[in-house]
Amino acid sequence: MLSAKDLALDYRTGGSVAHAVDTVSLNVGRGSFVGLVGPSGSGKSSLMYLLSGLKRPSRGAVSFEDRDYASLSGAGLMRLRRRRFGFVFQQHFLVNYLSAFENVMVGAVERDHDTAAYAQALLHRVGLGDKLLKRPYQLSIGERQRVAVARALVHRPAVVFADEPTASLDQATGHEVVNLLADYRRSGGGSLLVVTHDPAMLSDADRVLQMRDGRLMAA
Amino acid sequence: MTNPLSLWNFYFRNKRKVLPVIGILALAILGVVVTDSLLASARETAYATFGSYQKLILVAPRATRDQDLANPLQDSLTRLHDVQLQVDTLDGPGGITSYYNAVVALPAQVRAQLPAVQRLQVDSANARYYGARLRGDLVPLGDLIVRVQRLQSEQQAFNQLVTQLTQNPNDPRPLITYLQQHQTFLQSVLPDSAQLGRLQLAVTSASADANGLQQSLQAMNRDTANLNSAGQNVANLPLPPSPSATIDQFRSALDRLTASLGSIEQPQPGLDKLLADSAHIPGTALVKRDAYSNLDINLLAGNAQFDLYGIDQPGMTQLLTLYGDRVVTGRLPRQNASEIAVSEEIARARHVGVGSKLGNNVDELDRLPDAFTVVGIIGGPTRLGVIPLDYMTEHYLFERRYQGLIVIPQAGHAQAVHDELQRLVGNQAFRLFDWPYIKAKIDSLIANLDSINRFLILLVTLVLSLVVGLLNNLFFRQRMNEFGLLAAVGYSRWGLIRRVALESFGVTLAAWLLGVGIAVAVLSWFNTVFMVPHGLLMNVFDWNVLALHTLPIPLMVFLFGMGTVGWQLLRLDPISIIERRD
Repeated sequence: MLSAKDLALDYRTGGSVAHAVDTVSLNVGRGSFVGLVGPSGSGKSSLMYLLSGLKRPSRGAVSFEDRDYASLSGAGLMRLRRRRFGFVFQQHFLVNYLSAFENVMVGAVERDHDTAAYAQALLHRVGLGDKLLKRPYQLSIGERQRVAVARALVHRPAVVFADEPTASLDQATGHEVVNLLADYRRSGGGSLLVVTHDPAMLSDADRVLQMRDGRLMAA
Repeated sequence: MTNPLSLWNFYFRNKRKVLPVIGILALAILGVVVTDSLLASARETAYATFGSYQKLILVAPRATRDQDLANPLQDSLTRLHDVQLQVDTLDGPGGITSYYNAVVALPAQVRAQLPAVQRLQVDSANARYYGARLRGDLVPLGDLIVRVQRLQSEQQAFNQLVTQLTQNPNDPRPLITYLQQHQTFLQSVLPDSAQLGRLQLAVTSASADANGLQQSLQAMNRDTANLNSAGQNVANLPLPPSPSATIDQFRSALDRLTASLGSIEQPQPGLDKLLADSAHIPGTALVKRDAYSNLDINLLAGNAQFDLYGIDQPGMTQLLTLYGDRVVTGRLPRQNASEIAVSEEIARARHVGVGSKLGNNVDELDRLPDAFTVVGIIGGPTRLGVIPLDYMTEHYLFERRYQGLIVIPQAGHAQAVHDELQRLVGNQAFRLFDWPYIKAKIDSLIANLDSINRFLILLVTLVLSLVVGLLNNLFFRQRMNEFGLLAAVGYSRWGLIRRVALESFGVTLAAWLLGVGIAVAVLSWFNTVFMVPHGLLMNVFDWNVLALHTLPIPLMVFLFGMGTVGWQLLRLDPISIIERRD
């Protein structure tokens, strides 16, 4: 469903070229849970940006459902991200003046009653059923990240990209967040690509890929 | 289900950040509307105050009061000294007193036989009487003329002092010098300054006595001629030589004084002819003699002299009819009465009603002399003030010299009548005041204030654009995470710019509406409690002011704010925000 072939991302700094991603090829199958681990600076976040269309590769190709990103305009890529992908980042990036429920609805593509009901159900599922109207500053860090997870799932994305979603959480809370994402995958929601430096979070993953110096290594 | 990123949510949830910006903008707009409205009010009030010029042309003497009186006064003083010398001579040895004594000393038999001698006795007695009276008149008259002259020179010295002090307010030396030099004079003259008005009385009295003396002397000459023609040789009588030579000299001196005094008393030379000629100008509806005067009133942009028309009673009625005005309270001034009728706006501006007083004794900035009683309030579209012509010309020496004409052209003939009047007047003693001239003067006065106001609006707009633009930027930086996330999850860049533009537009629109709304409320209140009671005009709903003059502020603020924020949104890199670890 999501595949990359000979993917590379170079950064030119002065006269030298740094290879953030160096000739990476991979496939993420429908409904699979792929973990991406590696030390800081190994290129795992860059790979995720390339796979999610947040960045254009220097070389190689990425395609989703057999559509090459190169054939999509900037607006087309945006639409793809908006409709088919979900994102969870290390920080929650919740809108401060909106309630937990409204923040989830920010991720919704359709804003109808069904979606609103689904958003509420998601918040119940992440344990925030009684905090629908709370503002981000009224929630704990873990609760905020759970709201961010619900926001990533509200439009039922085909692929959820999670970039270090547990980095700012304690281990127990981190597990909770990853389990929420894994639940979504298990319930047939979609594929899951989780970038983390903590392999313990990937106990449910189908595959765990190791990255080092921009290359995929055998896990 | 509403959009969580709706404008309403944004405004309502960010009240603390949005309201101060709206408040600042609204206050600025309020300030602009108030200053602009006051300026427009000053212009409209000035137009209304001098609105009577829209239908008439004022023909007024060109000379100033000082220039006007200086020469006749000096000339009269010289003539007065001549007459005093001649009166002394006339009354001295060989003069009328000795002649009278000689006539009285004639034997009773001669006087009984010659009736002409009896008349000669009576006439010489009269001449002696008028001579004595005239001698008495001349002393205070001379004194008054000298006082007027000294007051004039004192006024010049005082003006010079004011100029020096204005140029260098920190240097008190000119003031000290002036006070030292003029102390005695000020103490002696200033309390008597009210006597200036008595000059006319003394002139009239001296003129009458001089006339009586002249007639008596002429009678004496006739008596002597009658005696001679009756065959009586006056030389045979025991009479002193006739004082005819002395009388002739006196008469010529007296003629010169009378002419000189008369020039003070006479109205503006050439006015009668101009009055007659103006009436024949084609297209002229009405010409009236006008002993005009002025009242001091406040026009917001400064004080101005409101014109009072000093015309006869039929003229007052004609003037009111011409402008569609009418007396709403009281009546028009009566003939030869110290009375005045003014429009209600002027009455309000001066806080007077029927029975109140107006004039120089009440407000020293009024040119209207003394204190005139308000007997009527005029209502209608045009502001008018009328005073009786005869009272002005018969009671005031100075005002007598300040006579002109009001010429009312028929509709559509204003320019032709103006041109013809200008031709009649030439470039000599009179000048014309009509609506184009008055309007240009008002516009020129307001134009300076207008320029200052426009500069202030520009300054306020620029400063506010900068301040609100910076606030916008600050606010935007606080929302960087929000925009970074939205861009990352697939919200389009132009969609985000459109959203920020709508937010800014809403804020500036709300500020503009609020500012204009508050301004209308404040102006309505101010109009009720201050403008109307002071006879000042204000159009609270002047859309030119409310809309055109205030829109640059929200527009500039919006464009400046959007320019800077839009530029940052276009360059927004969501990954740099996502990767930020703060």
